[in-house]
Amino acid sequence: MPPSIHPVDLIGALRHKHLTPAIVFLTSRRACDDAMQAFQRSQTNLPPARQQAIASVLGQLVEQYPSIAEHPLLPVVQRVGVAAHHAGHLPSWKIAIEELMRQGCLDAVFATTTLAAGVDFPARTVVVTQSSVRKTRDFTDLTIGEIQQLAGRAGRRGKDLVGFAVVTPSPYIDLGVITKGLTGQPEPIDSQFVISYPMVLNLLKAHPLDQIQAILARSFAQFQLNRRAEQLECKLDQLHVQMEPYGPRVCTDWITQWQVFDHARKQKASRVHTRQAGGTRLAGPGRREPPELAARLHFLTPGRVIGLSKGRGVVLRQYRSKGQRSPTVTVLRPGGAVTECPAASVTQIFDRIFEVEETPAYPWCTGQSLDSLTHQVSELPVRMPVLPILVQEEPEESEIVQTLTDEFPCPTCPSRPACQKDHAAALRLRQEVHRNQKTIQALHTGLWHRFQKRAEVLQQRGYLTPTCRLTDVGEWARLIRIDHSLLITELIRADAFSGAEPQILAAIMASIAHDDDRPGAFPRMSQGLASLLGQVRQLAESLAPDEDPPLLRADVAALTERWIGDPTLTWIGLCRVTTMAEGDIYRLLARTLEYLSQVYQLRETHPGLADTASKAIKVLRRGVLEELP
Amino acid sequence: MTTDELEKLLAEQPVSRLHRLAHGRVYRHFRLGKRRLIETLLRCTPEQRSGLESDLQALIQEESGTQQPARERQKPAISRTGRSEWSPAKPASPVEPEPAESPADLTAFLEGIGVPEPKPFVPDAWQEEALEALAVTDVVVSVPTGSGKTYVAIEATKRAIEAEETVIYTSPLKALSNTKFTEFSRLFGADQVGILTGDRRDNAQAPLLIMTTEILRNLLYDAAGGEIDVRLDTLGLVIMDESQYIADPERGVVWEETIVFCPTQARLLLLSASIGNPQDIADWLTSIRPTPCHLIRHHRRSVPLRAGYLHPSGKLTPLFRSVGIPRAPHSPLHPEAKRLFAQYEEETLRPGSR
Ligand SMILES: Nc1ncnc2c1ncn2[C@@H]1O[C@H](COP(=O)(O)OP(=O)(O)OP(=O)(O)O)[C@@H](O)[C@H]1O
Ligand SMILES: [Mg+2]
Repeated sequence: MPPSIHPVDLIGALRHKHLTPAIVFLTSRRACDDAMQAFQRSQTNLPPARQQAIASVLGQLVEQYPSIAEHPLLPVVQRVGVAAHHAGHLPSWKIAIEELMRQGCLDAVFATTTLAAGVDFPARTVVVTQSSVRKTRDFTDLTIGEIQQLAGRAGRRGKDLVGFAVVTPSPYIDLGVITKGLTGQPEPIDSQFVISYPMVLNLLKAHPLDQIQAILARSFAQFQLNRRAEQLECKLDQLHVQMEPYGPRVCTDWITQWQVFDHARKQKASRVHTRQAGGTRLAGPGRREPPELAARLHFLTPGRVIGLSKGRGVVLRQYRSKGQRSPTVTVLRPGGAVTECPAASVTQIFDRIFEVEETPAYPWCTGQSLDSLTHQVSELPVRMPVLPILVQEEPEESEIVQTLTDEFPCPTCPSRPACQKDHAAALRLRQEVHRNQKTIQALHTGLWHRFQKRAEVLQQRGYLTPTCRLTDVGEWARLIRIDHSLLITELIRADAFSGAEPQILAAIMASIAHDDDRPGAFPRMSQGLASLLGQVRQLAESLAPDEDPPLLRADVAALTERWIGDPTLTWIGLCRVTTMAEGDIYRLLARTLEYLSQVYQLRETHPGLADTASKAIKVLRRGVLEELP
Repeated sequence: MTTDELEKLLAEQPVSRLHRLAHGRVYRHFRLGKRRLIETLLRCTPEQRSGLESDLQALIQEESGTQQPARERQKPAISRTGRSEWSPAKPASPVEPEPAESPADLTAFLEGIGVPEPKPFVPDAWQEEALEALAVTDVVVSVPTGSGKTYVAIEATKRAIEAEETVIYTSPLKALSNTKFTEFSRLFGADQVGILTGDRRDNAQAPLLIMTTEILRNLLYDAAGGEIDVRLDTLGLVIMDESQYIADPERGVVWEETIVFCPTQARLLLLSASIGNPQDIADWLTSIRPTPCHLIRHHRRSVPLRAGYLHPSGKLTPLFRSVGIPRAPHSPLHPEAKRLFAQYEEETLRPGSR
């Protein structure tokens, strides 16, 4: 969304108040380009001396980056002293704009927020026009850290006495998000550790299996998991103290004993009851949930943060619905709504519990709790650790009942009144202890389990021996250290590229590497590429249980085939066959280059393939792709 | 009323009326903008929904009753076609009384713009502290943007090169690597700086090597697997710029791998913009590295920052009551900014205005 103020007026207002140079962050590339067009039409020209300064800086850069000289935006930038900077541009152009900005030649740059971390130039003023940013599919609110990274570009050390962050509204800006971002503390960061196939292969190349767990334990991920486990251990200690009055009685494990006895008693009663009701068997209280659901129920306790298909919430209570008697939870959603959802609809259980003061009636907690929870739930970080849930097989209930129904000492036991009275509290405590113990264990062994899962797949596919050493295949496969490595190595093993020309290999790598789903036009591709791409798609699909398939877009494959297949094709000629932005084409080819150079690493085991890759690399690196190392 | 109809009706209401409606329903409703307010109201449970709808109708009737003839009030607010037949409240009844202009605040806000006197370069205390600590151990620097982290990197590099050690500088982005390559080549001399990418190695024997974090991770894997490529045995310093990337969902893991496999004889220098828990990162390094990590952290901006609000009309006001940016969340907004923003929302969010 463009800001509501016209870009020329915006810069005019800033100039008037001596607030330039400025970086104006806009939501989209489109908005940045539109702003430039507005300037192209306007007659706000720079004085000749300043135009001259821009020309001279650009003149120096042209030597290193020849593509700048022909850039269509060059005349406007020079005339009005304003530029756009976003991922749709070539890196060389962005470098030129950054240099102009560093030298103080420009009054303003329109940039997209997505690039904020990579934008390495400051200004006197930063203009913020939005409070959310498009991440993958949805718009997400900017985090405090992101807002401070944006606003922090204002005020150049040594060049400004003071910097300004100016907010100007655009439709759907939320001032609350921005003021919170400006005044608040940045969010703590969490590890995003994932275990990939190349990681498993490379670790096992260098270390024997019995050392791996210790190596994984050195990750930041495990460090943070341990922290959480420590907190739970403290809680566990407290629980043990609370458990003290419920130690052994006449029977050592009186809690279980009473539970089973009580259950058997009820079962009997209900059986009698159903018979009286006409002999039909009802799916009554004895009904059991599938083990996955049963395992989760322990965790769906008041205060627990959970994910639902739409958004997240905090559990206020767990109960069984009246008719179906299926487990249900009452959930507090961000914004304060209290909703009822079947426990089966919970998609994630997060490793976070808030304090709740429970009450027996709606809204199931004290008003004070509700207020603070509402506040906390709307401030949840974007990413939170999810609890791994271990599913435990339990013995068939009916078996227990059958064997034990008539064998209880309880009815005549002297401890019976005490057991009856304490049972509910003791059981709740004990369940909580178990839950905590399970969670702690999951926190300690989670990474290792994930590693084992990956290793198993690699064993099944012949990259690892049953004792987790690298096979001959594993030895070379570990050199492919990019996304979708499994697909690439499987393609190589299936001889998919034997006899393929450089442009075909490059085209396939491009379709594997490109992960942007912005639509592009569709230049024609060769028969050979079309049929190979079909094969790759099939293989990717068959690997889907073990590795997420890449987009495998035909248009980017066709584009790459053109570039490599025809060494006389110019950059401008290439840009003309697609609707993709220059910067996106550049990124596509640069990533393809990276993938090809990984294939080239296999030169010892696959000399033919490596040779094809090297030919493709040589042709690929020409024109603008040669400008940067 | 369907959710869409209700949403449309809510969007037609002035913000003040939405706040009245939200009172007692939405926690801290007065902090929410119009869009948020509507979203939140729409999220109520089905039981609460009917109450909400009837209250809304009541509010509409009550406030517009004086202006509308009785028979019009009987009509449904939304017709079948979804177009509103109810004329929106006149902006003539303002949300808040218009406060008097306060040019004094604006003057204070814009006071002191300019270029500082050129001063000889004196390193900040935290920069010195970082360099001193780096002589013996790993350092994590978490300070605001534009504070001068590069100076620490450059000075530390100088010292390491003098001690005939190899230095590796990593950044998350190729573009940034490139900028730094140019900058460092100018500073140290072209023969002293090399750059490594997936398919190219320029001057790979130089004492200062620039690369993306992924390339360094691969080098470390190769070394662990027995293949030595770049001379890691003389490695004395590894600088990881923009290391808040460790929290990147896709690439963060590469930072962790690099740190875990970083040779013990080299010191690590992690440079990052402000993050909430740099102490955690430092504690983690302490737990896995031979020497306890030193953390440098502060929130002082080297150039003070102020926040303003620019209305689409071109009118500029301070955003907060105070001249600088207050450090407390929920700090009061400048009344003029608040009024102008409310006015903006009124104008843009009413259907048919865009
Ligand atoms: N001690 C100092 N005194 C004066 N100016 C300094 C000092 N240290 C650094 N500077 C200047 O501050 C400016 C910003 O420094 P630098 O680019 O290193 O910031 P940074 O902390 O890396 O920020 P970012 O988070 O944006 O990467 C530079 O122009 C630098 O010359
Ligand atoms: Mg920096």
